[in-house]
Amino acid sequence: MSDRKTRLTITVDPHISAYAEQLVEAGQAASVSAVFNEAMAEKAYRDRRRRSLWKTKTDAADPQRVERMMTHIDQQLGQ
Amino acid sequence: MSDQTPTPFILDTSVLTAIARGDTDIIALIQAYDSRKQPMVIPALAIAGACLDARGEEAGDLLAGLELLDNAMVASLSGSEQAARLAYVVARTGLDPWDAHAAAVADVAICPILTLNAARWREHAADLDEPLHIVEIADPGD
Repeated sequence: MSDRKTRLTITVDPHISAYAEQLVEAGQAASVSAVFNEAMAEKAYRDRRRRSLWKTKTDAADPQRVERMMTHIDQQLGQ
Repeated sequence: MSDQTPTPFILDTSVLTAIARGDTDIIALIQAYDSRKQPMVIPALAIAGACLDARGEEAGDLLAGLELLDNAMVASLSGSEQAARLAYVVARTGLDPWDAHAAAVADVAICPILTLNAARWREHAADLDEPLHIVEIADPGD
């Protein structure tokens, strides 16, 4: 993946925009773009962690029991 | 294989609570339905109900992970009409707002409610103008 930044235009809620600008003014972020870049990077990290957690739980399940429960559900839907 | 989209399941608070508690078999069941392209609807207030029961970072991550499934979508409560409809369902059924939201979504969309507690739902299945369709998650081998 290239390290070059991609330009994009986004529309955000006014209070979110105001907060991003406030962070820049307070010196807590280099730019509004940096604020949104960091927020998206954090979301990507959170989503990966959540997917990984679901996979861990799914791998620990009893597949035969899950299959029996699905059959039971299918039977009810077929009635 | 049929091209027909299956009727969505509405997940109730009992299912979401089991997910939040990390019940591996229920999580795997929901994951399997997602793999089968089974649409699933998650009422926003049912998530709130599950959050009250199971707190903590992992519980929150497991519930938020539901939204990352390809075939699950959150049904929000939006606008005065939906709020009034929810109040109507609470008044007619006596259900708490968490499950009443599931009932309201199921009633409008004519979709089955997937639950771990069918007995509780059967008490209320006939309270609305149209009967609710309840589908129980259970292992006949238990």
